[in-house]
Amino acid sequence: MTLIEEGKGRPKAPLTPWKKKKEKKQLPGVASLDGRWGYPAIAPFFLIFLVFGVAPVLYSIYIAFFKWDPLGESEFNGINNFIFLLQDSDFWIALRNTFSIWALSTFPQLVVAISLAAILRNKRLKGKSFWRTILLVPNITSIIAITIVFQQLFGRDYGLINGLLTLIPGVDNIDFIEGIIPSHIQIATMISWRWVGYNTLIFLASMLAIPDELYESASVDGASKWQQFKYVTLPSLKNTITFVLIVGTIGGLQVFAEPQQLNAEGGSTKQFLTLTLFLYNQAFLNNKYGYAAAIGIAITVIVLIISAINFVITRRISGEGSR
Amino acid sequence: MSKSLTRNSFLGALVALAVSAGVLTAPAKAAEQVTLTIWTFGEVIQPGLQREYQKLHPEVKIVPIKNDVDPLHQKTILSCQTGGPADIIAFETPYSGYWRTGNRPNCFQDLRQMKTSATNADAGVAAGQSANEIKKNYLPWRWEQGVAFNDSVIGIPTDVGGLQVAYRTDLFKKAGLPTDRGAVSKLWPTWDKFIETGQKYVSKLTAAEKKSGKGFIDDAGSIYAAVMNQGSVKYYQPDGTDRGKLVYKTNPQIKKAWDTTVKALNSGIGARLGQFTSDWNIGMNKGAMATILAPAWMLDYIKKQAPDTKGKWDIADLPVGGGNQGGTQLAIPSYSKNKQAAYDFLTWYLAPEQQLKVFKTYGLFPSTSVLYDDAALLEYKDEFFSNAPVGQIYTKGVLKLKPIFEGELQRKIDSTFGAGLGRVASKKMDSKKSYALVLSDIDKLFKN
Amino acid sequence: MKRNVPKWQKTSKLHYLMLGLITFLSIFPFYWMFIVSSNTDAEISKTPPSLVPGPRFLEVAGKVLSAEGVYFTKALTNTFVVGIAIAVAQVIFSAIAGFAFAKLHFKGRQFSILFIVATMMLPSQLGIVPLFIMANKLNLVNTLYALIVPALVTAFGVFWMRQIIDAQVPNEILEAASIDGASVPRVFWSIVLPSIRQSSFVLGLFAFLAAWNDYLWPTIVLQSPERFTLQVALTQLKPLYGLDYSLQMGGAFLATAPLLILFIFVGRRLVSGVMDGAVKG
Repeated sequence: MTLIEEGKGRPKAPLTPWKKKKEKKQLPGVASLDGRWGYPAIAPFFLIFLVFGVAPVLYSIYIAFFKWDPLGESEFNGINNFIFLLQDSDFWIALRNTFSIWALSTFPQLVVAISLAAILRNKRLKGKSFWRTILLVPNITSIIAITIVFQQLFGRDYGLINGLLTLIPGVDNIDFIEGIIPSHIQIATMISWRWVGYNTLIFLASMLAIPDELYESASVDGASKWQQFKYVTLPSLKNTITFVLIVGTIGGLQVFAEPQQLNAEGGSTKQFLTLTLFLYNQAFLNNKYGYAAAIGIAITVIVLIISAINFVITRRISGEGSR
Repeated sequence: MSKSLTRNSFLGALVALAVSAGVLTAPAKAAEQVTLTIWTFGEVIQPGLQREYQKLHPEVKIVPIKNDVDPLHQKTILSCQTGGPADIIAFETPYSGYWRTGNRPNCFQDLRQMKTSATNADAGVAAGQSANEIKKNYLPWRWEQGVAFNDSVIGIPTDVGGLQVAYRTDLFKKAGLPTDRGAVSKLWPTWDKFIETGQKYVSKLTAAEKKSGKGFIDDAGSIYAAVMNQGSVKYYQPDGTDRGKLVYKTNPQIKKAWDTTVKALNSGIGARLGQFTSDWNIGMNKGAMATILAPAWMLDYIKKQAPDTKGKWDIADLPVGGGNQGGTQLAIPSYSKNKQAAYDFLTWYLAPEQQLKVFKTYGLFPSTSVLYDDAALLEYKDEFFSNAPVGQIYTKGVLKLKPIFEGELQRKIDSTFGAGLGRVASKKMDSKKSYALVLSDIDKLFKN
Repeated sequence: MKRNVPKWQKTSKLHYLMLGLITFLSIFPFYWMFIVSSNTDAEISKTPPSLVPGPRFLEVAGKVLSAEGVYFTKALTNTFVVGIAIAVAQVIFSAIAGFAFAKLHFKGRQFSILFIVATMMLPSQLGIVPLFIMANKLNLVNTLYALIVPALVTAFGVFWMRQIIDAQVPNEILEAASIDGASVPRVFWSIVLPSIRQSSFVLGLFAFLAAWNDYLWPTIVLQSPERFTLQVALTQLKPLYGLDYSLQMGGAFLATAPLLILFIFVGRRLVSGVMDGAVKG
């Protein structure tokens, strides 16, 4: 899918390559196999990847220096697109929204996913496989279908959620589109609903890797359930949490379909204009290809900065870690 | 960059693959059989007339593909770059300025160079007519909206969006207001009076009704466009150049429209139901609004979406009088492979005879001005709207209209103002701040 | 019996309650789709709204399937064709390249891996405008190839496969086979492939799901309804039946139902796939 898929719709691999390197130095490979076969083996992949994965990125760097109107004349524009971007209040609003939606969807999700995983870890639990499977159901559904449903559920006048809220005396209908935070909550709910089960499974996998003896001995020492969770479970989830955060951030920066389906412009005060929607609108609503490319580069820079921060933090954590 | 890419032999092979496996690309062509693909929106292409034409011409198959107005515009732009499957494309007048400017007329066939064939001679369209010959049938300023600044004719007008007030007689009665259309029209000679009437209406609503979101008008924000279009200049002033002079900062009409709308918003007369949303539709059925500023083309929407309200509606004059909203041109994209068939269909479909039928069955008010003194139009009454003489009412309104210069980014500016009023409506910003933001947002459109 | 359970392994009713709640929340939107699409808007918008299925579903489904200019069933086949093509291609390309990266010594290997990992960080929307320009130059616009060709490979798939092959195929076996005279392709075909069947299936499944749900790129690059994928077709229902909730929801339901059916068969494997791929410790 290279450049076009939703960043989150991927299976998760044992990532954190920097850690791997530390443990193994590098993959040894098999010396007795003829290494020259490596080139034809990776060639088809690399060819397609370079053309449809790398070339568009390079091309967009080029376009970013132009005033590029698809039906008009294009002229060299120097770094004006970037200067203008920094001065464009919409960019900063989009940045704010993107992070707010990201935070609102990520942190509650972490708490719920870890709690659920802690429940599911229990060996005595009945119907284990059923619960696990159910958790993954929201993950397979399409964003468009789900936005249609949630939009209706969150409707201001006739939505089910407001219908329930107004049963509480003194509570007025909440406008889940016009308000900044309410609209972010609506979008974050759609995202969390899709991903919480998936992340639960990820956490469950790493919890299952924690040896039972640790819990047993903690229990013998008189540690309460909460203490066990705090001192045994949580510390061993560090890497997984970092991983979920990185993937969540990359995905969070690509939130597009949900806000776009609510309102193509991102709302009357741009209250849910996200970075990707901003890019899309500049390219395909305003026909400013050059400007859109500049936005794409800005998003890339943001991803790189976050990855760098993550990298530093992970290093520090694993440096301090007991192993 | 792109050159070195296309030279790549691998990609060449891909292209060859794509072309040779033409199953996915080539349209099916039976002998003489023509499929006309129409990119359209709303009710521009009427199914009844479409069927009639197909009966007239069994060899022609018409496939209308509907989209929303803005996404359609986007698709039109993309397809102009790449070529596409459409034979006819509808664009709304707020976008006409965009297509008339610069190189963009090249995206469409110049209709002066087309000639009608003999195929519709029996159906009232003589052979050999170019756009120049049919021009006389149409309201001149509506025609001009399809003429590019390089003089090529890129679109032929369908309807004109004359604007009136549709109101609910039953709800008016309940609120102690007059119900007769003459008396109702007299309630609001000005917009201020309209707002006052609204307040009177709203004051009669129960607390529960207010809480459930009922109001006098569906969306007070819709007043903006109505007032705007009662002026003679919007955001662009004609100055002899293609682009016109930008006056969105100075035109007093804008301020007037803005202030009137803000007043209406703050007076609490609106039900805050955005037009063409599902909630609007539900509200229409539930009697959540007593009035709608209705362009002629909206009458059909009301009929379709709220069939149970039949006979409860009537139509009164717009405050101040003479309003306009919307209207569409039909164009033939220059990449179309069926231009002749498309032009023959267009000239038939947009001929006065057919437009009269469209009006009678669907309420779209024709821009074929030759009909405006036709008794069939003037005497037409609509049962759904309490037998209001809609023909006469809308004709009167349309004749009052003054032509307005629609500039390149008209639609974009309109929606920027709309968003600004939305902010005021939802109380997210006060009027002054919101207005300033509108202006700076518009400034941005002209940069980069 | 109860005495045998160590204290730290006890389950309480509360746990089941929470799981029940999450099950309800996971399923409810689907149920709601069905409710709305089988009722009239009036039923849904009254307070409290109807919570039981109404009589309209077949009528609505019929309208969705026969919607003029939408070709819902065609969109369904298109989506399948695209999804399967992408899934198969990704598995093949990723397995071969992943094997090379995991098990073969060659110059530039380390650099290539780093390069791939680096590109995985790039946001997907960065290249969308140039990709459109390229698709246009290659005459791919408005063909299903426009969806398939750029998605034939992903950096992610290759990286994932590399990790899987590294973890699941012991070097010793490959060594033994090669010393017995097996060529590299032979080793790949008869030793590596059979042992990564399960993971390949999961990778393919995820590629399929991503293709099924992709929306941004198809809306840009497809023009004719007979080429639309389901997601694009879904958005077409609105302009056509815009103001009727039940038709929109009916479309959403019909576009989701095939996935739910598929899920009944592959759900467990997906679960184990997700968990196998997770970071442990």
